[in-house]
Amino acid sequence: MSKNDEVDISHLIQLCRIQFSEEEKKVLKEDLKKILRYMTLLEEVDTSGAAPCIHVNETLINVLREDVRGSPMNREEFLKNAPDHVGGMIKVPPVISFEE
Amino acid sequence: MEDPAHKVRERFTSGEISAKEIVEQSFERIALHNPKLQAFLALFNKRALEKAEALDLKRKNKKPLGKLAAVPIAIKDNLQIKGEITTCASKFLTNYRAPFDATVVRLLEEEDAIIIGKNNMDEFAMGSAGKHSAFGATKNPWDLSCSPGGSSSGSGAAVSARLCPVALGTDTGGSIRYPAALCGITGFKPTYGRVSRYGLVAFGSSLDQVGPMTRSAKDAALLMEVMGKYCDKDATSLNIPPVRYTLEIDHPIADQSIGVPWNFLESLAEETRQNFLQSLEIFKTLGAKIVDVDLDILKYGIAIYYILSTAEASTNLARFDGIRYGNRSKEAKTLEEIYEYSRKEGFGWEVKNRISLGTFVLSAGYHEAYYAKAQKVRTLIIQHLKKAFEICSVIALPSAPKASYSLKAIKDPIDEYLQDLYTVGANLAGLPAISIPSGWSQDQKPFGLQLMGPQMHDAAVLRFAHAFQKETDFASTHPPGFGDAP
Repeated sequence: MSKNDEVDISHLIQLCRIQFSEEEKKVLKEDLKKILRYMTLLEEVDTSGAAPCIHVNETLINVLREDVRGSPMNREEFLKNAPDHVGGMIKVPPVISFEE
Repeated sequence: MEDPAHKVRERFTSGEISAKEIVEQSFERIALHNPKLQAFLALFNKRALEKAEALDLKRKNKKPLGKLAAVPIAIKDNLQIKGEITTCASKFLTNYRAPFDATVVRLLEEEDAIIIGKNNMDEFAMGSAGKHSAFGATKNPWDLSCSPGGSSSGSGAAVSARLCPVALGTDTGGSIRYPAALCGITGFKPTYGRVSRYGLVAFGSSLDQVGPMTRSAKDAALLMEVMGKYCDKDATSLNIPPVRYTLEIDHPIADQSIGVPWNFLESLAEETRQNFLQSLEIFKTLGAKIVDVDLDILKYGIAIYYILSTAEASTNLARFDGIRYGNRSKEAKTLEEIYEYSRKEGFGWEVKNRISLGTFVLSAGYHEAYYAKAQKVRTLIIQHLKKAFEICSVIALPSAPKASYSLKAIKDPIDEYLQDLYTVGANLAGLPAISIPSGWSQDQKPFGLQLMGPQMHDAAVLRFAHAFQKETDFASTHPPGFGDAP
């Protein structure tokens, strides 16, 4: 964390999987700069003796259900919300292209 | 719709009024006032009337009536109701129809509540002003040019304007308490894990909690009795015996201590400070003692909250990829383009901003400096709060830095983030906290008082709030122009 943390916007939006216009990239970069500058406030806190918080409720450990068959959602019901489907399956563009 | 929930039930069960009449009154008020407030995104007239008629028949046949019999309840639009659209106020989910019920919705209906519609909100619950909805900003009933607070903006405005006695909200950093304060109503965030989140569209999973927004702490207690139950579909749900909140709230608070973190409140605005001091005086007349607690560490709350909540949001919102449900861009030709274009089209600016921030703080090279650091400061906050509760039953704070403000006033993202300064602590530590009306500013906007308790002490928080409300009439005053019939 530093006041000079520069955000590599092109790399970041690639990680986010969101398309931004050039104009939006500029605004985003400015917004992030302001917010990250505010967060440098944390530098003054001495956390040398503190473990990172994993869960606010320490009594809950490895919450697992019994390994028994449940009643999954009906396929027809689920597919009603799918943008595109065929033969009971979600349809997407080819993941591997065979064309040159 | 002046009556609080417990009174509505009383009037229905005693035969004074029918469920059908109650629902019709509610819809009549909504038709009259909602166009200017934009508190609702969907109304369930048919569903509600059918339920009302079924309840009237149930009463006629002398069948037992539930704890929320004939109480009209609105639901924030990030909670799923089977067969109904759930948008989270986002274009991404405009056509998404929930294939199952959230556990809280099921619990309300089992106790004969009548679900009347879905409330407007900040998109995916991200925002403090109620202005980040893809379907238009919600307005504050106390002043239509002002913010109702967010993100449970529509829930706050609906209860405040007497459109219905109860609405469900969700609270990740203050999203129940903050709008409750700005709208002059009661808003309760339970202990993390008290109320099931099954069927809630997740935002910040280590912080999110569902809770009631009501006219009084007494009604919040009633709602908690119905909603505060273990749910095996939520891995964070606490498997603990149910509490009779409605009985617990009547115990006296005399001789108990209220902690006030004076050092943390040093920079409080003068008008907010005066209101806060008046509230403490009221507690003193009830026999409570005021003690000083050191919580200066809470000044780091906003910085770590916006690291942790956005990190969790960036992960949770990865599911909105345009593949299985929600928006799929018509422009997209490849799989990658489906992700990138669908998200570009579907998400509003604030959501994109937070996903970007969350992705950044989790990315290689920055994770340790931001995310891990924030989790360590979170540990310190939890420790300081635990220590504070060694000498007091509850901690008192203002709910908001100031009363409501013009919807146009907030331009800088940090300004909006800082509105949650006093509320994020309870989320970071998983504590129960309530906001109750505590008076008005000079220009007649409501102030909210916040009370926060140790984990599992939800009943204590409600008890202090109830004691305050028995002594004052802030909670029973409606916004000008929103009183009386219909």
